[in-house]
Amino acid sequence: MADQERSVGQDARSGGPAAAAPRPSRARVFKEILASLSKVASIRGGLLVTPDGLVITAHLPPRSQVEALAALGATLGRELELGSARLERGAFRMALFAADNGTLFVGGSRVGFLILLGERNADMASVRMALGRALDHL
Amino acid sequence: MRSVSFATLLERTWSGITGMVRKPSTPAALFRQADRYRNEGRYDEAARLVAQGLRQAPDSRVGRLLSAYLYVAARRTDRAKIAFHRVLDLDPYHPRALLGLARICIEERDLEGSKVLLDRALQYYADFPEAQALREMVVSWSSAPAPVAEASPSTLPGELKTAAPARDLVMTRTDGTLVFARADAERGNQLAQHLTQVYRMASATLSRAGLGALRRGAIDSGSHMTFLVSDANLILSATLDGNVEVGAGLAQVGRLWTEIGVKA
Repeated sequence: MADQERSVGQDARSGGPAAAAPRPSRARVFKEILASLSKVASIRGGLLVTPDGLVITAHLPPRSQVEALAALGATLGRELELGSARLERGAFRMALFAADNGTLFVGGSRVGFLILLGERNADMASVRMALGRALDHL
Repeated sequence: MRSVSFATLLERTWSGITGMVRKPSTPAALFRQADRYRNEGRYDEAARLVAQGLRQAPDSRVGRLLSAYLYVAARRTDRAKIAFHRVLDLDPYHPRALLGLARICIEERDLEGSKVLLDRALQYYADFPEAQALREMVVSWSSAPAPVAEASPSTLPGELKTAAPARDLVMTRTDGTLVFARADAERGNQLAQHLTQVYRMASATLSRAGLGALRRGAIDSGSHMTFLVSDANLILSATLDGNVEVGAGLAQVGRLWTEIGVKA
C-alpha cells in the first residue's frame, strides 16, 4: 500500500510550509479512520480529500494516481452535494458507483470527501455501514 | 537506521514545546499554522489565522490562496472565486488558483471556461496531475453540452409501474440529451443535467482508478435514495423515498431499465 499524508495547504510551487510540523492528532485520527476502512472486506483502499480536492490522507494500492483521483473524486463529491441541494433531496450523505471491475464509494462530510475503492462484488450494505460510521467520526 | 544525537533530540523536543506554547505572530507563521489546521479539518481556526495574517500582509499569495481554499471548504463558492481572483491579480499564472477557479467553473457547468483555465495552468506547469485529470475529463465530454430536449410526461411509457413510490424518474443519453422525465420541464432539465454530470464524473473517477465502465449507482441523501443504471448510451435514474436497501432499489430501477430499454 502506498501510504501518503500531505499538507493540503501547500502551493504547487512554494514548497511545503507544514512539511516539518509534528503530526497533529486529528491527522492521526484521519489516518486511523482510513486504515480501518481499508480493512473492511473487499475494500482496496481510499483517500480523504478536502472539498477543493487536495489530499489529507490516502491509503491506496501502489501506482494509484492519488492526486488525479483526489481531484476527480472531490469534483464528483461536490456535484453530488450541489445536486442534492438544487433538487431539494436533503443533504448528500454517501454514494456508490458499481463498475465492471470494481466499486467506488463517496462519502460527504464537513471536512471533505471520503473516497473508497472496492471490489466489484463488494458487500454494499456493510461498506455503507462502515463508511457511515467513519463519516460520523469526521 | 539513522542515529539522532542527544543534542538534536533535545533541540527538537524544545522546539516542539515552544511551538505549542508560542502563538504565531508573523504572517508566514500564521499561514503555516493555518495550513496545519486546514490539514486537520479545523477550518474555522485556520480561517481566523488567515484573516489575521492577511491584515498584516494583504498581498500574500499564500494567504490569499489559503483564504480561497477555506472558502471552498466552507462551500462559499462566491467568496472562493473572489479570493482565487485575488491570487491571479498577484500572479496571473498561479497554477493552484487557476485549478481552483476551473473547479468552480465545472461546478457551474461552464465547461469551456474550465478548459481555458486548465490549459493556462498546464501551459507553464505541464506536470500537474490534478489539472491534467480534470482537463482530460472535461475534454472527454462533448465540446458543447448537447441540447436538452423538452421534457414531457407523455414521452414516458405509460404502463411503467414501480413497486415503491418513485419520483424524478428520468432517462438521458450519455451526451446529456434528455430522453424523458416524469417531471415538469424545468425540473426535468435539472434532473438531466445533474444525472449526466454525475455519470460523467463517476465514470472519469472509475476509469482513473482502473475500475471500468459505470453500470449502477446509488446516492443516499438521508430521506431519499436515488438509483441509476446505465450502459454506453443511456442512463436511467429514479428517486425512492426513505432508507431503501441498495440491492432492492437497484433491482427496482433495473426492472424499469429492462422495460424502458426495449422502448427507448
